[in-house]
Amino acid sequence: MTERKNRESRTQGEGGAFYRIVTLCLMAVLVGFAVSLASIAFVDSFAWLNRALLISPRIRVQYESNPMLLVTATLLVPALGGVVVGAMFSWLSRERRSLGPADVVRAAQLNLPLPDFRSGIVSTLAAVLSLGSGASVGQYGPIVYLGAMVGRAAAYLRIRIQALPTIAIACGVAAAISTAFNAPIAGLVFAHEVILRHYSMQAFAPTTVASATGYVVANVMFDRPALFLVSFSGVGHSHEFILFALLGVISAGIAAIFMKMILQSAALAARTRLHATLRTGFAGLAVGVAALWLPDVLGIGTEALRFATIEGAFSSLELLVLVAAKIFLTALCIGFGFAGGVFSPALLIGILSGALFWTMIDSVQFVPHSGIAAYAICGMMAVASPVIGAPLTVILIVFELTRNYDLTIAAMVAVVFSNLVSYRIVGRSLFDLQLERQGIDLSTGRDKARLDAMRVSEHATGDYARAGPDEWVADVNARLDRGNWKEVYVLDVEERYLGKLRHEELTAFGNARISEVVVPPELEFNERTSMREALEALGSYAGDGVPVVLSNDRRLLGIVTKASVIRAYLGEVDSIRAEENAPG
Amino acid sequence: MHPVRLALPLVFASVSFAQCEPLTVVSWGGPYQQAQSEAIFKPFTEATGIEIKVLSYDGSIESINERAVAENWDVVDMVEDRAIAGCEAGFLLPFDAEEIVLQDQAVPVRQDFVEGAFRECSVAQNVFATVVAFNVRSYPGIKPTRMEDFFDVEAFPGKRAVQKSPDAILEWALLAEGVPARQVYDLLSTDRGLKLALRKLSEIRDHIVWWDDVADPVQLLANGDVSMSTGYNGRFFSAASNDMLPITIIWDGRLIGHEVWAISNASGRIADAELFIGFATAPEQLAALAELIPYGPARRSGQLRVGLKPDGTIPMRDHLPNAPQHGERFLTRDTVWYAHTRDLRDRRFQAWLNEKQD
Repeated sequence: MTERKNRESRTQGEGGAFYRIVTLCLMAVLVGFAVSLASIAFVDSFAWLNRALLISPRIRVQYESNPMLLVTATLLVPALGGVVVGAMFSWLSRERRSLGPADVVRAAQLNLPLPDFRSGIVSTLAAVLSLGSGASVGQYGPIVYLGAMVGRAAAYLRIRIQALPTIAIACGVAAAISTAFNAPIAGLVFAHEVILRHYSMQAFAPTTVASATGYVVANVMFDRPALFLVSFSGVGHSHEFILFALLGVISAGIAAIFMKMILQSAALAARTRLHATLRTGFAGLAVGVAALWLPDVLGIGTEALRFATIEGAFSSLELLVLVAAKIFLTALCIGFGFAGGVFSPALLIGILSGALFWTMIDSVQFVPHSGIAAYAICGMMAVASPVIGAPLTVILIVFELTRNYDLTIAAMVAVVFSNLVSYRIVGRSLFDLQLERQGIDLSTGRDKARLDAMRVSEHATGDYARAGPDEWVADVNARLDRGNWKEVYVLDVEERYLGKLRHEELTAFGNARISEVVVPPELEFNERTSMREALEALGSYAGDGVPVVLSNDRRLLGIVTKASVIRAYLGEVDSIRAEENAPG
Repeated sequence: MHPVRLALPLVFASVSFAQCEPLTVVSWGGPYQQAQSEAIFKPFTEATGIEIKVLSYDGSIESINERAVAENWDVVDMVEDRAIAGCEAGFLLPFDAEEIVLQDQAVPVRQDFVEGAFRECSVAQNVFATVVAFNVRSYPGIKPTRMEDFFDVEAFPGKRAVQKSPDAILEWALLAEGVPARQVYDLLSTDRGLKLALRKLSEIRDHIVWWDDVADPVQLLANGDVSMSTGYNGRFFSAASNDMLPITIIWDGRLIGHEVWAISNASGRIADAELFIGFATAPEQLAALAELIPYGPARRSGQLRVGLKPDGTIPMRDHLPNAPQHGERFLTRDTVWYAHTRDLRDRRFQAWLNEKQD
C-alpha cells in the first residue's frame, strides 16, 4: 500500500519534471533570444549616440580642423546629457534612480519583485543617454538589469513552476552577459555566482539554454565583435606567478578605493541641495573638463583598453593620472546620478593599473617577464572581479575572450588574491555594499536576509481574547474559562493596547477591575519587526503569544504565537531549500 | 525599367555619332590603364561610337584642381577617399549612380555592388589591395609571410620601399604592434595611436627607400634596390606574370580599397560621362578587366564572371584581393575617415619625416 503510493508519487513527480524541463527550456530560449536582441539594440544605440554627439574618437578626429566645435562638444555633451538624465529620473521614474545588478540581486535573493517596469525602462534609456553622451560609466550593469527585466516579464507567462520569477531573471541575466561578452560560460556562471548564489539543476538547465541562445544570436546571427582580442604567447617564467599574486593584492586595494569612493560620492550627492538635473549635469561637466586634457576618460574608453596592452603606449605618469582620474570621475558620475554600471570602468582602471605595475617591473632591469599583455589583463580582471564579486565569472571571461590557457591561469591567480583581500577589507561586492546600505545583509547567506525581509506582522492573527480596562476580573475569568483561552489582551475603547494577562494570574486576583491588575507588556512587536528579530526575541520568551502593536498609535494589529513564527520560519527555509535542491 | 535601361546605349549611340569631340577619361597609366583600354575603353567606343581620349594623372585632388578645366576632363578614375574629398571640395559633380549602373538580371544593384559603393559623386568599380611584396631572391631561406615581418629588419634584412605618404603604412604599423584589424582606425583616430604608429615606423626608418610614382615599387624590387616594397596588388601581379619578375605578394594585412568612377566638374558632357560609367561598371567589363589585372569587380555579378587570363594561363579569381586563400587578416579602408583625416595624417607624417633631418 505504502509502496504503491510512493511509486505513484514518483511517477507523478517525473511527469511533473518532464513538464518543467520542457517548459523552462522553451522559456529560456525565448528569454535568451529577446534579451540578446535587446542588449544588441542597447549597445548599438549608445554607440550611435557616441558618433552623433562627437564622443567617439573615430568621429572626433574627422573634425580635427575645427577645434572650437570639438571643445564645445566635449564640454556640453556630457553636461547636457547629465541634465537630461537627471530630468528623466526626477520626472519620469518612480524609483528616481538608476537601477542595476544590486536591484536584481535583491529581487532574486529575497524573492521580491523587481522595481516597477516604468522605472526600469527609464533607467535603461537613461543609461543609453549616459553612455551615449560620454559619461564615465559602464554598459554591463544596465545590460544586466535589462536582461533581468525581460526575464521577469517572461515570468508572467502562465506556467505553473515553482520559483519561476527567480529562474526567469537568472535566464535573462545569463543571456545578457553571454551576449555582451560573447562568453556563454561566463554568462551562465555569472547568473549563479552573483544573482542566484546557489546551485540547482532546476535553475542551471534553463540559464544554460538562455546563455547559449544569447551567444548564438550575438555570434552567429549578428557576428558581433568580441570585446577584447589579445595575442599572448604564454607566461615565460615561473616567478611571474608571484608577481601576478602581488598584482592581485594591489588590485584589491584599488578596487576597495573605487568602491568606497562610489559609495561616498552617492552619500555626498544625497547631502547636496542641488536639483538632480544640476547635480548630474555638474558631474557631466566635470567629465568634459577632464576630457580636454585626458581624452581617454571620455566614454567607455575601448581605445585606452587596447593601448594598455601595448608597451610604451602610456608613460607611468600618464597611467597613474588616468587611473586616478577614471576612479574619481566614475565615482562622481555614478554617485551624482548618471545611469550606468561599474564593471567597464573597473576593467579600464584595472588594465591601466596592470600596465602601470608592468612598467615598474620593467624598470627593474634584472626581473625577466613575459610582456605587458599578461600584467594588463591580470590587473584588469583583478580590479573588476571584487567590484562585482564574481571571481569565477571573470576568470571565465578571460578564458572565453582570449581562448588562452596560460593567460587564464595567470589571471586566475591575480583574481583570487584580489578577491581574498578585498573580501576582508570591504566585503563581497559593490552590489552587496549597496544593499547593505538599504538594510539588506547578504553576507551570511540569503536565509538571514530573507528573514530580515519578512515582517512578523504578516503572521499576526486576530484570533485572541480581549478585555476592556473597566471590566471586572471575575467576568473576564469566566469568559476565558468558557473559551478555553490562556491569555487575554487588554485594549481601551480606541483599541489601544494596554497590556496582557495570563489566565492563571487572573484567577489569583479577587474583586478588582482589569485596569488595576494589568501589567505593562513584557514583549511586543510592531509592524516593522522582522522575522529574524522575532525569532531571536522569542528564544528567551516564556509566554506564548506576542502582541503586534502599531508603533504610531499603539493599536493592536494582532498577535503572533511562537508556533506561528516557527511555522513561518520553517516554511521559508523549505522554500529556499526546495529552490536549491529542485531536480531538473 | 529594365528593358529601357538596356535600350539606353542604343539611343545615345545614335546621338553621339554626330559628336566628334572625344570623351576624356583620366586614369593612372601603366598596366592598369592598358588593361582598362582593352576591357573597357575600346569596347565602349565600339558599342557607342564615342571616341575616348585617355589621360593619366597621379590620383591626387590637386591634379584635378590644376588640370581638369584646362584639359577638359570628363570621367576620372579615383580611389574612393579622394573622390569623397573631391566631392566635398566641389571638384566633382554629384550624380545618381544607382540610376546609371546597369542591373544584372533581377538583382537590385544595391545588393549586387559592394557595401558603400554608391556615394554622392562616385560609384565603386573595382576592389584593389595595397599590399607588401618582396623580391623572392632577397630571401633564399625563410620567406616573410606576415605584416610583422615587414617591420622586422633583423629577421628579414634589406631595404623597404614605402610610398611617401601616411596612407596604409600607419595602419600596418599598428597591425604589426598586434592591434586587431577591427580596431586599427579607432586607435589611429587618437593622438596616442598616431604616435605609436610613427614610433613603429621609426624602427625601420633607416631602411626605408621612399617612392612616389605607382610604377616605382616594381622597378625598385626588380632592380634589387629594395627587398620589400609596399604597392598595389595588380601591378605586382603584372610584374610577376607578364614580366616574369621574382616578385611575390604578402597578402597578410592587405588594405582593401575601392576604386571609383567620378565625373569632373569641368565636364560639359555629363550624359556621355554617365553613359560611360554605366558601361564601365557592367559586370562583363569588370570581369574582363579583372582577367587582365587582378582588381576584383566591385559587384558580385562581375566577380562571378571572372575566368582565365586571356592568354589562358592563369585563373584570375585566385589573384583577386578578396580571394579566400589570402588569409583572414585584412583591413577595409575607411574612406570617409580617410578623406577627413588626410590633412592631419599628412601633417603628422611630414613632421615625422622632418624629425629625421634634425
